[in-house]
Amino acid sequence: MRAYLESIVAFTEKKLEQKPSGWHKLIKEIASTFSRAFDENAKVVWVSSYAFPMELLWAFDVTPFDFELACNIIPPAVSGNGSSIMVAAENQGYSRDICSFYRLALGAHVQGMVPRGDLFLTSSYYCNGKAKTNETVARAQEKESILFDVPNEISRSSIEYVGSQLKGIASRLEALTGKRLDTDRLKETIRWSNTAGASFRQVNELMKAKPSPWDGTKACFLGIAGSLFWGSAFRHEINVMLIHEMESRIQAGKTFPETYRVLWFPWPPVQQTNIFATLKEHQVSVATAESARVYWSEIDESDPFEGLALKALNDPHVGSSQRRVKAIVELAKDYQVDGAIHFSTPACRHENGSFRLIGDALRDEGLPVVNLEADMTDERNYFADKTRTNLLTFFEILKTSKTR
Amino acid sequence: MNQAQNRAGAGVIGWMCGYVPEEIILAAGLESVRIRGAVPSLKQADSYLFPNFCPYVKNVFDSGLRGEYGNLSGIIFTNSCDAMRRLRDLWDSHVKTPFSFMLEVPRNRDEDAVTYFSEQLAALQTQLENFIGAKISRDSLQESIRVMNEQRALMAQLLERQKAKTAALEGSELLAFCLEAMTSPKEAFTKKLEKILAQSPSVNSGLNQQPRVLVVGSVMDRLDLLEKVEAAGASVVAFDTCAGLRHWSGLVQEGENAVHSLARRYLLKPPCPRMPGFERRIEQIIQFVRDYSVDGVIYSAVKFCDYGLFEAPVIEAELRNQHVPFMMIENDYVFGDMGRIGVRLEAFVEMMKGDVD
Repeated sequence: MRAYLESIVAFTEKKLEQKPSGWHKLIKEIASTFSRAFDENAKVVWVSSYAFPMELLWAFDVTPFDFELACNIIPPAVSGNGSSIMVAAENQGYSRDICSFYRLALGAHVQGMVPRGDLFLTSSYYCNGKAKTNETVARAQEKESILFDVPNEISRSSIEYVGSQLKGIASRLEALTGKRLDTDRLKETIRWSNTAGASFRQVNELMKAKPSPWDGTKACFLGIAGSLFWGSAFRHEINVMLIHEMESRIQAGKTFPETYRVLWFPWPPVQQTNIFATLKEHQVSVATAESARVYWSEIDESDPFEGLALKALNDPHVGSSQRRVKAIVELAKDYQVDGAIHFSTPACRHENGSFRLIGDALRDEGLPVVNLEADMTDERNYFADKTRTNLLTFFEILKTSKTR
Repeated sequence: MNQAQNRAGAGVIGWMCGYVPEEIILAAGLESVRIRGAVPSLKQADSYLFPNFCPYVKNVFDSGLRGEYGNLSGIIFTNSCDAMRRLRDLWDSHVKTPFSFMLEVPRNRDEDAVTYFSEQLAALQTQLENFIGAKISRDSLQESIRVMNEQRALMAQLLERQKAKTAALEGSELLAFCLEAMTSPKEAFTKKLEKILAQSPSVNSGLNQQPRVLVVGSVMDRLDLLEKVEAAGASVVAFDTCAGLRHWSGLVQEGENAVHSLARRYLLKPPCPRMPGFERRIEQIIQFVRDYSVDGVIYSAVKFCDYGLFEAPVIEAELRNQHVPFMMIENDYVFGDMGRIGVRLEAFVEMMKGDVD
């Protein structure tokens, strides 16, 4: 895996030499962070960065290794050959009914592709599979897996329960690094997180322009994969670059032709598909994506553990579907979209289980919704012709709906 | 429709997960029943939920949509798994019962988790009080704890008898008792249990030559699998499923802080596959294998249950290291594919017979 990651770093460096790009800078930094996890002296913490307050990890300067992200950006996964890795896990009894993201990570582990972890952190949200994957690898590496348990309700007692777990994790990080928690450093990471939160809101604000100045699925990726850097100055730096890029695109009139604008939820596929080419061909722009939303308020740096607890508790994938329904409908209105695309990966049960409620709410607003049943990363579950037919039908519905 | 859910009278509260303390429901003067899927096949749930979704949850939802739980006043949901969380969302939008509560069951088992769970139970108590329009007295809570402890103690005696060389009951009979206990008025069922326990334990002397099977896993509300194993010539001596050993294990400490005692007993009882910690589960299963002199283990899981899909390979590897035969059976909750499963079960029993010989 390290070689794959270094090849990504080399590729993006070349791109950046040709032209500065926030996108390529982001990819390069993700790959280089995960590549550092293979260094012998690195203090490596396995974590799902989109479901953990990363501000705490950056305060300790450990090396985060997000197994989901790392395994899904490497060439076999993105080039439609992820099953070559997954099959190693399947041969050990891990069913194809398990999410492909996790089969990929387990397969990479079985094949010895992943780095060692010094500490395994996982979260009770978004889904059940993530925590079990982390625990499975931790057990194989004879390390303890710590579960960050976030309840689905916000109350004084849940804030205290979550905050106290974060304090416990901070103690574990102290033991791992041999350093006491520097509260000033934690406040600094929270300050950076707040600054980056504000600049990402600006990114989102610019995306409201018509025609859309950026690809919403990339914004979605930034919302998920960029979570790795909440709490670091880098996250803000990327946002600022993207803001400049978008502003100049808008000023120069270099936006893509846009016949229809759609909202994308919940996340895009990792593997190569014909989806984006089909959208482009029909001038359908993804104006916004659910995962690009900044869902939390400013974190209170004077009470960091409570602030980070609230950030976790406010995650849209914590709590009832109704929370997501409300947010998605608001998003659709704010971005004046003509319809919505739901990308559904087979084993994403927590998300697919919300689809009916979200779809109904959007339709109540007069917005057509298509469900693309495919797979994030297992090419054996992706059927290009079927997907294209679904999309073409959806475009016809968009046309009728807009005319009406 | 389940008989218990059919009984006349208001005030039947349903639950699906063994982490729901029935004591609080009983203390409110309400009847407590475990919700089982009530339809043989789905008609409506598939238009709300994807095909690869927990068949138990789908069956309960379909049953709700079709009005199969007519006398149910309310449901206490839990955050047991992703599917169960989504069931609550859909239930509140499309089925609706007068009372609905989402009980947050922590996944951790430390003191902070017990404290948080106590607060959740206190919130449940308050909501039930609002629902019935009366306070739940300390005495009634203590009394319901006593009633449930009595039943658990008797069930523990019954389960203990299964350890004998000649198991007292066929596994299918035992499962039928366990399911009945979860859907019957407590005191009446306790009397029935006392009668059973008063009988001689060695009524099934034919069982002592058969391979002894332990079934582990999650929800199993039908007898089909156990009956098939028994028909093939093995004896299911115990099962650690949602209705099995872990459900009856341990008593609630009677005393001052009843809600805290309930939180401790329920959260710290032997864990189910949902809880983190493969080691604890493995130790527990290996202990059952020893205690019940088991010749083989069957892992039963409903299709698309992520906990089972992750846990089974780990348990299989450990049991194989201990030379304990293992087989995983996934099912559609109603065992509609029993013909296919039956062939595998028969082969498994034959293999064990060879080992026992």
